[in-house]
Amino acid sequence: MVRLLDLGIEKLNNMILDMAELSTKAVTTAIQAYTEGKDVRKEIFEWSEKLRFIQDEVSELAVELIARYQPVASDLRFIKSSMEITYGLSRFGRYAYDITTVLSMFGDLSKCDHSTIIKMADKVKVMICKSIEAFIKRDVELARTLSNMDDEVDNMYKEYVKRIIENKESNLRCSVSATLILRYLERIADHANSIGDKVIYIITGESVPRK
Amino acid sequence: MDKIEAKDLNAWYDGNHVVKNVSLRIKSNQITAVIGPSGCGKSTLIRCFNRMHELIPGAKVSGKVLLDGEDIYDDSVDPVDIRRKIGMVFQKPNPFPTMSIFDNVAIGLKLNGVKDKKKIREMVERSLKMVALWDQVKDRLNDSGASLSGGQQQRLCIARALAVEPEVLLLDEPCSALDPNATSKIEELIVKLKENYTIVIVTHNMQQAARISDFTAFMYLGELIEYGETSRIFKQPEKELTEKYITGRFG
Repeated sequence: MVRLLDLGIEKLNNMILDMAELSTKAVTTAIQAYTEGKDVRKEIFEWSEKLRFIQDEVSELAVELIARYQPVASDLRFIKSSMEITYGLSRFGRYAYDITTVLSMFGDLSKCDHSTIIKMADKVKVMICKSIEAFIKRDVELARTLSNMDDEVDNMYKEYVKRIIENKESNLRCSVSATLILRYLERIADHANSIGDKVIYIITGESVPRK
Repeated sequence: MDKIEAKDLNAWYDGNHVVKNVSLRIKSNQITAVIGPSGCGKSTLIRCFNRMHELIPGAKVSGKVLLDGEDIYDDSVDPVDIRRKIGMVFQKPNPFPTMSIFDNVAIGLKLNGVKDKKKIREMVERSLKMVALWDQVKDRLNDSGASLSGGQQQRLCIARALAVEPEVLLLDEPCSALDPNATSKIEELIVKLKENYTIVIVTHNMQQAARISDFTAFMYLGELIEYGETSRIFKQPEKELTEKYITGRFG
């Protein structure tokens, strides 16, 4: 027999999957638009707002489930994590929007070298996919791989900033705009890693210590 | 510190093996909840802790129960003495209906040979104050115990158990016949009482176990499946059976 709580948990799960799909699309579209010099601010802003709206709905439902059913053990861990995971997914949307604003702030950046951004963006997109796949499959091992990838992204960001400080990037507009985008990507990677941590917590109850 | 320790405890009713090789340590001045489905042996387990189980014809016990390290089943031990040290409160409030409120609390003292009326009066007042009933009944101590509400009757029964100054209080589903308001008052009382007593509570209400206990024991088919700190049991149980039971996925 289906427990009444299961109906709510299934609804939460579906909302998370909807957010996962939309937030992935937002990040991918924003990065592609940046490299192609396209303005997609309006579109991404709408998606970002929608993500925030669903996140609020998830929080409401999670609190309602706690109040009505007093969940424990894996149910409680899932419900708690659903709020944290959707916060991360909502942040994907917000950073995607922030990426789109860089073009409007700096104007044409087509002459800049995008290679570091493309390299980091590829890694971050893989992290997003892995974090979502780990959630869908409740795959602890896959979730654990995200931490190392996050370290790699952090290092890429730090190295780029170091290069600017050492003045190896001579074009100020290119280097500042790239730094902003790399920073947004680095934050997205943090949230993807955090989603992986929540997957581990849902399955094992183990809280991964913050770095 | 351990107040009670069960070692390889087994209990039977007419050949039915209802408690199977249970070993656990009940901590002093803590509340230990025993949870599990109906018929899992949880009430029998706590009845073994004060030798109530053996009062039932056809009942048998093996293994050890240590109270402060002393085996309560030792031949030299008087079971009446054990039941004075380990008091019990039952599911349905059971004040003696023909006795006054005062006598319901005083009865244990009188049966234990206390004759000093002043002392009896003091102990009755103290016990009724401990269960927060004194102010409500001090002007009608001669009324029948049955005249009280269900929640008050249960508090009266707890006062009766406390009057003989036990060290341990066994509570067998003490709130199952009470409304939510009376239940909250009993729960608050139980938490307050742990300052002075070691408490073991059998409950069907898992939220009650989660709310008030420090340790939780989960029993199934006579076996102790899992025992540990309540905060861990309800967040992260180790055994799949425990997980299934507390999340309502059982059966």
